[in-house]
Amino acid sequence: MAGEIRSFTQAPSAATPGDSKRRLAAVLAADVCGYSRLMGIDEEGTLARLKRIRRELIDPTIAEYNGRLIKNTGDGALVVFDSPVEAVRCAIVIQQSMVGRNATLPRAQWILFRVGVNLGDIIIDDDGDVYGDGVNIAARLESIAEPGGINISGGVYEQIKNKLVCGYQSMGDRKVKNITDPVPIYRVLPDLAAVKRAHRSRGIAAAVAAVVVCAGAGGAWYFWPLHAPQEEATAPAPSAPVPSKNISGPVATAPAPASTTPPIAEPELVALKGGAVALGSNEDSSEKPIRRITVPPLEIGKYPVTVAQWNDCVAAKACSPAATGDPATPVTNVSWNDAQNYVRWLSKATNRNYRLPTEAEWEYAARGGTETKWWWGNQLKTGVANCKGCGEPYDSHQPAKVGQFAANPFGLYDMGGGVEQWVADCWHKDYSGAPLDASAWTDGDCSAHVLRGGSWKNDPSYLRPSARGPYDTSVRYVTHGFRVARSD
Amino acid sequence: MISRRVLLAATAVSLPLRAFAGPTPAGKGAVLYFITLRDGQKVRSPVTVRFGLKAMGVTHAGDTYPNSGHHHLLIDVSEPLDPNDTIPSDKNHLHFGAGQTETTIELPPGPHTLQLVLGDANHVPFDPPLVSRKIRIIVTK
Repeated sequence: MAGEIRSFTQAPSAATPGDSKRRLAAVLAADVCGYSRLMGIDEEGTLARLKRIRRELIDPTIAEYNGRLIKNTGDGALVVFDSPVEAVRCAIVIQQSMVGRNATLPRAQWILFRVGVNLGDIIIDDDGDVYGDGVNIAARLESIAEPGGINISGGVYEQIKNKLVCGYQSMGDRKVKNITDPVPIYRVLPDLAAVKRAHRSRGIAAAVAAVVVCAGAGGAWYFWPLHAPQEEATAPAPSAPVPSKNISGPVATAPAPASTTPPIAEPELVALKGGAVALGSNEDSSEKPIRRITVPPLEIGKYPVTVAQWNDCVAAKACSPAATGDPATPVTNVSWNDAQNYVRWLSKATNRNYRLPTEAEWEYAARGGTETKWWWGNQLKTGVANCKGCGEPYDSHQPAKVGQFAANPFGLYDMGGGVEQWVADCWHKDYSGAPLDASAWTDGDCSAHVLRGGSWKNDPSYLRPSARGPYDTSVRYVTHGFRVARSD
Repeated sequence: MISRRVLLAATAVSLPLRAFAGPTPAGKGAVLYFITLRDGQKVRSPVTVRFGLKAMGVTHAGDTYPNSGHHHLLIDVSEPLDPNDTIPSDKNHLHFGAGQTETTIELPPGPHTLQLVLGDANHVPFDPPLVSRKIRIIVTK
């Protein structure tokens, strides 16, 4: 069927009807690799799965990124976008979502797309079909993409290289049938594992560099310059996701802080080794698509910040207002801005790098190496967390003291229930376009930030490690608290 | 009512001015209503909802300026509102504490109810509670 795309895109390109419209566009060509083989194995099943993928993933994703589906050939598609950034984002979301969908199936049943994106001149005829070199090159890029991979042309690369969270690998200039000049081709490497695979397959172990953080307009973006020689030791990630049972749990409890005067009640931390983890779920649209991410080592608060700890900051005149109530209860009624004031003060007071955990770090920590609905399993259990419907002890007026319920497998308390916890990330309605590492997602509209874990006033569904919600950055609310993280 | 206030003050970070205050009185003749949508309206998701308030002002949560409050949108909520407790915050109770007067929400196809509640500085309903009429809308595919 990839052949079909090429045939319809190439055949009429010579004829340019006088009333057709030329325009510059980002063209995305996709096809299912091994379509005939899949159909041979299970014709009806494959068709049904493809239809479902189209309905649930392809069509909505195209719509979300303002693409226009020009042709759907059953196993292939041609989509036109105004923006190359949106075209590549759309491609990444689809490919990443397919990783999640294939994860539970035997390899023989995997449905893998090849995707090519080109920026070029196209002609739209009266029937809505598109023609032109711009289309032909997209189809050619697609045909030489790896299964599950995305190839982009040099023109697309130039437009997106500083705007998208990605690695890009130059594949050199390629001659494309019927096109005079060779086309520079880049492969999109959406995660660190892909980067590692890419350099290994090319036998240039030294070519993959350390992660470089680029501060772009309003956000931190990452890319891997593939041609800067670096030590192999700096290659940042395992080549394949490790099974969750191998994810390391807590390795040590942080030592007591070096004595400072006056003494402050520094939050107790648990050191986590980090590792690969699947984040998100299909339970709610805000938790999709599921992303596989490698979380670097970090230390995170064993408990949420307490009233006593907060009031140290108040005493230092760096936080307000003063918290009342039992010193061992989590501080509540803090906005995201208040939480930032606290970590800034604590960092200064201790000369350490305290911060809010990122959303990915929080979920990794909350899962504690599990992949179940809650860290304790898929069934609701009473007495393991502090929420409305979680059983006794329960007081609807206030959260329980920290550490009153069981710790998760990483030794962390109250990762779900008690107080909802601010994380560093700005709110986005789902993970489309999210960072493909564990960094905070801080671009876009940051008038709201993300809260995790659910509160004592929420029902148990809000306590799932993947559950997330927004709240205005500057607004205080009675169930909101936070815990700290540290990586230095 | 006072005892609940004291309890709340004991458990939350209390705003000194509010700790012993009674329920916040609603403005005289104040009306909370939907500018859009209207009862029975058929709409497609995402749905833009505009909030109307007469005879009172909209301000930020946490701001105790007299005769003002902030919006909360209740989606498909059937249990009665507790006039003495903070308005819940979850997927069915959306807060607009930054003073927003409209929102765009995604709703699955089918019938839904929407209702506005004005909250005071601490997200507690006014006395008497200032709520809009509960409207029913139908989201079509």
